Amino acid sequence: MDNKTKTIAFIGNPNSGKSSLFNHFTGLRQDVSNFPGVTVEKKTAIIHLAETTLVRLIDFPGTYSFFPNSTEERIVVEALVDPNSPFRPDLVVYIADITQLERHLLLATQIRDLGIPMIFVANMIDIAQENSQTIDTSILEKYLQVPVIMTSVRKNIGLDTLKLSMFGAILQSQSSPTPLYVLNPEASKVSNDIRKEINIDNDYHAKLLAHHASWLPNLAEGLRTQIQNSISNNDFSDIKQQVQEIMSRFETIVPVSKSVIISQQQERASWTDRIDNVITHRFWGPIIFFTLMLLVFQAIYSLASVPMDLIEAGFANAGQWFGEMLPDHWVSNLLIDGVWAGLGGVLVFVPQIAILFFMVGFLEESGYMSRAVFMFDNVMRRFGMNGRSMVSLISSAACAIPAIMATRTISNQRERLITIMVSPLISCSARLPVYAVLVGLIVPDTKVWGIFSAPALAFMGLYLLGIVGALISSLIIKPFIKETSGSFLMMELPNYKPPMWQNLFIGVRDKVMAFILGAGKIIMIISIILWFLASYGPSSDMRNASDKAQSYISSHPQENPEAILASYRLEASYMGMLGKAIEPAIKPIGFDWKIGIALITSFAAREVFVGTMATIYSVGDTDDESTLRQKLSSATNLETGDKTYTFATVMSLLVFYVFAMQCMSTLAVTKRETGTWRWPIIQFLYMSVMAYVGSFIVFQLCQ
Amino acid sequence: MRSLADLEVGESAYIAQVSENTYTCKLLNLGLLPNTKVTLVRKAPFGGAYYIKLGNHQLAVRIEEAATISIESL
Repeated sequence: MDNKTKTIAFIGNPNSGKSSLFNHFTGLRQDVSNFPGVTVEKKTAIIHLAETTLVRLIDFPGTYSFFPNSTEERIVVEALVDPNSPFRPDLVVYIADITQLERHLLLATQIRDLGIPMIFVANMIDIAQENSQTIDTSILEKYLQVPVIMTSVRKNIGLDTLKLSMFGAILQSQSSPTPLYVLNPEASKVSNDIRKEINIDNDYHAKLLAHHASWLPNLAEGLRTQIQNSISNNDFSDIKQQVQEIMSRFETIVPVSKSVIISQQQERASWTDRIDNVITHRFWGPIIFFTLMLLVFQAIYSLASVPMDLIEAGFANAGQWFGEMLPDHWVSNLLIDGVWAGLGGVLVFVPQIAILFFMVGFLEESGYMSRAVFMFDNVMRRFGMNGRSMVSLISSAACAIPAIMATRTISNQRERLITIMVSPLISCSARLPVYAVLVGLIVPDTKVWGIFSAPALAFMGLYLLGIVGALISSLIIKPFIKETSGSFLMMELPNYKPPMWQNLFIGVRDKVMAFILGAGKIIMIISIILWFLASYGPSSDMRNASDKAQSYISSHPQENPEAILASYRLEASYMGMLGKAIEPAIKPIGFDWKIGIALITSFAAREVFVGTMATIYSVGDTDDESTLRQKLSSATNLETGDKTYTFATVMSLLVFYVFAMQCMSTLAVTKRETGTWRWPIIQFLYMSVMAYVGSFIVFQLCQ
Repeated sequence: MRSLADLEVGESAYIAQVSENTYTCKLLNLGLLPNTKVTLVRKAPFGGAYYIKLGNHQLAVRIEEAATISIESL
């Protein structure tokens, strides 16, 4: 891209249909990344406006005004106000919901007062027509002094006209309109001071610099100090100035919007009112919510299992095939068992992520999600979280990875972090195979009170333990996370509307790509390290292990020779050495070095525990759960002759798997979503401590 | 003077004034302007928040947020 490529910013209030319009113009040619320094999605695309004219489009987060309340909203201020911003647009396409014109005009008047060329898009014209509202855009054009175009993305109205108008606007310069808001005396003095220091030709721009000098990232420090001096010398009160400006703008906005849009009909109960009578009902509301969440959970759980099995089997079969094709060499082993298996380990999460984001996107787009936030705000607040956290916590029961990625919609940083930190404590689907093997060891398959199956009750107990653990942890973590943005609820409950499929599919694609490109690298590296540790050891030890295995095989011809060899080699490998090295540390919680190995390999994914135990106990077929269970229940300690898997040890192991952070993929996603290594490290440490202490208590009590 | 937090379910009133604090602008942005008619539609199932209606759009606000808005009876 060269310097001549012009930048067009798509800006508007939340729920203005801005992203639908952006998706319409860009389709799948979007480049998704984060705005620098924050986890706020930045979508850009280079498109042709005409045959020879390339432009760069940027979709900015939904914003109400130049006086932001969240990190997301600050992005627009930074792009338009910061003199050194790399995202300063040549043209703003301002999108407004015409049926909510009054509120959506506020930011439009602010942007045009900055003198940035603008096109005003009166969107959702189809809904206005359905409501028999008549619209007179000439009044709006006269008021704003910028082109006004009526559109509907849903009904494909005015979209070509908008494209032509964008093309026209970047070719010729718009003359700066006379400002709609005139600065009051205090603001004028500050503005004059600022304009002496920096070359800007606009009083309102200077006023915004005064409002935001404390945080704008690209401001020279000397200028920042001078602005702050001028603020205190001139009695410029930030909040008073904001309120005065907004009130003064609305003084003209309210009458203008009343004359632009004229309703023929009397107000009547809308569809939204009627739906909300049921959906936010004090009794039915929560029941409907939990039913919906159950559906989401069920969908992730059951719909994802087929594609996940296909991916796993496909990778395993292809790996085997490569193994036969390639020579037996460390390079081919690295490629097959390290890189290829690692890639499979990344892709296996894609079905769950896609399904969750499809369903969450549906609930978000239709307008339901904000109702859920309204209903559960009070409950989740006690735990330092947000109504939206409910969605993450419930989807964690399938997998914490999409759940953590879904926290992006929580605008309060602290509530989002707490949700990220505790979500992995909810028992996910990868813990199930581990629970299945272990519960079978200590809980007989009988009925309790004639109706409940005992193993099912045990499973429920494990899930409950995870939920209680998550809630208690949130209470403990809460005081340690600084409140930065102030917690508030006030938000729109937008009118219900059918979701736009294109938006849903683009959203799902973005999340899947973000996971593969963002977390995938870390997962690959760790799986290669784990592969190396389990396949290699000091060469003399490895040779010794092979010899021992050979002599054992010749004296036990009925057993599976490959399984025996694998078991001896794993014990002699670096992984085996690690397992033995941590044995003193895990003895107090009832684990031996064999479990130690399984704990470390589980880090690739929890269900690997089963496979590792099968290898250690030389059970050839890892799918055969009952053989493994028999081996485990008959395993004895060689020194004392006691059973290894006593009730206390199994209980301790179960508690350990409920609490421990044994999932590199979750840690990789936490790193990606929080932007630093700090949070995944804290997450790993606190969950490990919880697991250790919990297991210790349970082991000592059960012994 | 009564505030928005004192409304009964189903009751309407006009907004008189919004007191100045850090989130006043947000309340104004959301359409809670003086002289606007506001109706309390319902309270949240587990308390703590109100579902309010203003003209043709609706908002969720916490009770302590509603308490910063003074109202005048119709």
